[in-house]
Amino acid sequence: MNFVRDALDLQVQVDAIGLGAIFALMAVGIGLVFGVMRLVNFAYGQLIMAGAFALAFASERDWPVGVGIALCFAVVLALSLAMERVVFRPLRTQSAAVMLIATFAVAFLLQSIALLWFGPLGKTATSLVQLNRPVEVGGVDIRKITIASIVVAVVCLALLVLLLNRTSIGLHMRAAAIDSQTARLLGVRADLVSTVSVLIAGALAAVVAVMLTVQYPTVTPTFALQETILVLAGVVVGGMTRLLSATLGGFLIGYVSGLLGGALPSSQSQYLPSFLFGLVILVLLIRPDGLFTRRRGLVERV
Amino acid sequence: MRTLAIRDLDVAYGGVTAVHDLSLEVVPGEIVGLIGPNGSGKSTTLHAIMGLVPARGGDVLLGDTSLRGRTPEAVARSGVALVPEGRRLFAELTVEENLRLGLAARPSSEGVDDDLAEIYALFPVCEEFRDRHAGALSGGQQQQLAIARAMISNPSFLLLDEPSLGLAPTLVDRVFASLQTIAERGIGVLLVEQRAQRTVALAARTHVLANGELRLTLTPDDAGDTDKMVAAYLS
Amino acid sequence: MRAGRTAIELLAPVLLVVAAGVIGIFVSQTTEIYFVTALISVSTVVAIYVFVGNSGVLSFGHISFFAVGVWAAGVLSIPEAEKPATMPYLFDFLGSTTVGNVPSLLIAAVVGGLFALLVGLPLMRLSGLAAGIATFAVLGITNNLLRYYEKIGPGLNTFSSVPETTDVLQATVGAVLVIVAAFAYQRSRFGRLLRATREDPAAARAVGVSIYRQRLGSFALSGFLAGFAGGLYIHFIPINVDAVYLDLTFITLAMLVIGGTTSLWGAVVGALFVSALDSVLAEMEDGMTLLGRTIDLPSGSRIIVVSAVMAIVVIVRPGGLTGGREFSLPRLRPAAAR
Repeated sequence: MNFVRDALDLQVQVDAIGLGAIFALMAVGIGLVFGVMRLVNFAYGQLIMAGAFALAFASERDWPVGVGIALCFAVVLALSLAMERVVFRPLRTQSAAVMLIATFAVAFLLQSIALLWFGPLGKTATSLVQLNRPVEVGGVDIRKITIASIVVAVVCLALLVLLLNRTSIGLHMRAAAIDSQTARLLGVRADLVSTVSVLIAGALAAVVAVMLTVQYPTVTPTFALQETILVLAGVVVGGMTRLLSATLGGFLIGYVSGLLGGALPSSQSQYLPSFLFGLVILVLLIRPDGLFTRRRGLVERV
Repeated sequence: MRTLAIRDLDVAYGGVTAVHDLSLEVVPGEIVGLIGPNGSGKSTTLHAIMGLVPARGGDVLLGDTSLRGRTPEAVARSGVALVPEGRRLFAELTVEENLRLGLAARPSSEGVDDDLAEIYALFPVCEEFRDRHAGALSGGQQQQLAIARAMISNPSFLLLDEPSLGLAPTLVDRVFASLQTIAERGIGVLLVEQRAQRTVALAARTHVLANGELRLTLTPDDAGDTDKMVAAYLS
Repeated sequence: MRAGRTAIELLAPVLLVVAAGVIGIFVSQTTEIYFVTALISVSTVVAIYVFVGNSGVLSFGHISFFAVGVWAAGVLSIPEAEKPATMPYLFDFLGSTTVGNVPSLLIAAVVGGLFALLVGLPLMRLSGLAAGIATFAVLGITNNLLRYYEKIGPGLNTFSSVPETTDVLQATVGAVLVIVAAFAYQRSRFGRLLRATREDPAAARAVGVSIYRQRLGSFALSGFLAGFAGGLYIHFIPINVDAVYLDLTFITLAMLVIGGTTSLWGAVVGALFVSALDSVLAEMEDGMTLLGRTIDLPSGSRIIVVSAVMAIVVIVRPGGLTGGREFSLPRLRPAAAR
C-alpha cells in the first residue's frame, strides 16, 4: 500500500523521530511539574509561544543568534517563575480541577496579551533558519534541525536523568513526587522543589521554542497550541504519574503525528484529532495511569 | 538544653475538636509516652507539633521559640523529627536514598560520616540493604530504616507514631531498646503508642489521652496497675 | 419561612433575568445585541451549572452539547431551498426537512441531551482531573467532527439563512425556562442526592446513592439545556464551527467561576456580570466617551480582562461573586439573649 511505503521512507521516519524528540521534551516539561505539584499546566504552550516571540523580537532587530536565544530563555524563565509564585503556589492546597481551571485562565490570559501586543499575524524569527536546510546523509536529505532536535533532546534528557538520580535536589524532587507530605517531614523544602521543577520545565520550553521556530518561523499568538494539546494527550495516554511514561507518551504522539503527517494524504488525516482524543478517553477509562505504567495511581473513579 | 513543650494545645478538624487544652513537656534525654484509645488525638498532637495540621489555640514551644505556624520542613529543620504512622517510606527508592532524604533537615553536612557510622551500628539493616528498594524490606527492617532516616537529621527531639504497629513482639523489643539508646544519647523522645503497658514501663512519664484531653499521667511504677489504666482509657 | 426562602431563591435569578430582558426591549438596536447575547449566556451557563455545580465535577465539554444544538436547530431551520448554498453534502433527510422555530429548539435540546447521555455513559465514572481531561477530549472530538463531517452541517462554512427568531423576548423566555428547570432539578430528590455526593462521597455511597447514576442524569439534563441554548443562539446570529469551541468554552466557564460555581444564583450573576463587563469593554474597544473622556481600548483587551478576573477569582475568592450561595434576603434577628 502506498501508505506503508511512504511511512517507511527513511526521510519520513527521521522527520517523525525529530518531531517525537521535540514532543518528548515538552512532555517532560509538563510531566515534571505534574509529578512534583500535581498540577497540569494548561498554559505550557503559552510559555513556548512567549519564548518564540522573544526570538522573533531579537531576529527582527538583527541581534546575534546567541543574544536572541538568551532573551528567549530569560523571558520564558521569568514567566515560569511568575506563574509559579502567583498562580501555582497559592493553589497548592486546592484540588486538581481547580488548578486546571486556573491554568486554563492563565493560558487564555497570555494568549490574549500576545494577540494584543503582536496582533494575529505575529512576527517572524529567522535567525536560525539555516538549520532548516538539509544535509545529505546516506542518500537521504535530512534537515539539520531534525538532527539537532534529536541530539538536543537526548542531551537534555540525559542531563535531567543525571540531575534526578545523582543530586540532592533531584532526590528531593523524586521524593516530593511520590509523597510530598512525608518528604516535607524530612526537611525537603516544598517551595524550592516546586521552583526548581518549574524552572527546568521552563528551560525545556525555551529549548523547544528555539527548535520550533526553525521549522515554523512565523510566530503567532497560537504558536505551539496544537502541539501542546497533542502533547497533553500523549502524556495522559503514556501515563501522567511517571516521568518516564509521560515522556514516552509524548514521544510516541510526536512520532505518530510525524508519520501520519508525512505519509497520509490530508483528506484522510482530517479526523486524526478525533482518533487521538478518543484514545485519550479510552485510556482514562481503562488504564487511567497510562499505557506505559504499572503502578496503580491517582486517578479517582466511582 | 531546650525543652519541647506543648501548652494548652487546641486542634480541630472541620468543626470537630480533636485535641483540647493539652499540655506536656519533653526534656532532652527522656522518653515521654502518649497513649490512649483510637481517635483520642494522639496522632493529631504529633501532627500539630510538626505543623501538618494548624493549631486552633495554644502553642508549641522549642525552648523559647514557638513552632506554631511553621511549615513541616521548617519544624524538621529546627531539630524535631517525626517517624510517621505506617512508616511512610519511599518504597521505590533505595534504602540509601531513603536515608539520604533524612539529611535534608540537617543544618549542615558536618559530621555526616560519623553520624552515619553510628546509625549503621544501631540499625545494621541500613548498611546491609543499601541498594535494595525500601519496599523489599520486611516490616521490622522498614521500622529500623524509618527511625534511622529520622535520626540521620541529627534531631534534638524524636517523635514516633505507633512504631510497634504490625510488628512481632521480639521486634517490638528491639524497637523499644533502640529508643532507650537514642534517649541515652541526649535526644528527647515523644512516643505515641497503642501498647500501653510497655510504654508505661519504658517512659519516664506516660500521658493518657482520651477524647482529646489529658486524663492521667502514669509513671513506670504504675505499669502493673491495670485498673488505673482501664479507668483512664474509659473516662 | 422555608417556603418563602425557597421562592426567593428562584425568584431572584428569574427577576434579574426578566429585568435584563425588559431593559433590553427599550435600548437601541445595536445595544440590543449585547442584551440578547447576555441572556443566551445565562441559558448556557446555567446549563453548565446544572452539572458542574451540583456534582462538583469539572467539565470542559459542555460547549459540545451547545454546538450540537446549534447544528441541529440550524440545519433543520434553514429553508430547504437555501440549504445547498452552505451545506451541499447534507444527508437527504436533513436536506429535505425544515422545521419551525419552537420545534427546532426542542429538537436541539433533545439532540443535546441524547449526545450528553451517550458521552456520559462512559465518562461519568471519572472524577477530578480525569473528568476535566476527558471532557476536554469530547470537546475536541465534537469540534473535529462538526468541522469536517459535511453530511450533517455546513462544516467549515458559516451558518447562514437561519431564521433570526431569537430576539430579546425569546432569549428572556428561554433563560427563564432554563432557570426554572435548573431550580426544579436542584430541589428535586435527584438534585439533592447529587449534591450529597459532592459534599461527602463516602457518606453518600454508604447510604446507597449511585454516584454514577446521579451524575449521568444531571449530565444528560445539562446537555439538554445546553443544546436548547445552542438552538437559541443559532437563531440569533450566524456562526461558524470555531465560534463554538475553545473561546466559548473559556468564556462560559469564566462566567460560572466568577459568579460562583456552586449556586444557580452564581451562574446567573456570573453570566450577566461578565456579559456586562464584556459589552462595556467592547464599546471601549470601539472608542467610548465616558464622563467627557474618550476611552479607546486596543482590540482584544476584553479577553485579557476577563481571564485576569477569572484567575484572580480562582486564587483569591474561589467561591466567586456570590460565594457559591443562593440568593437570600438579609435576615432580621429576633432580639434574644445569647
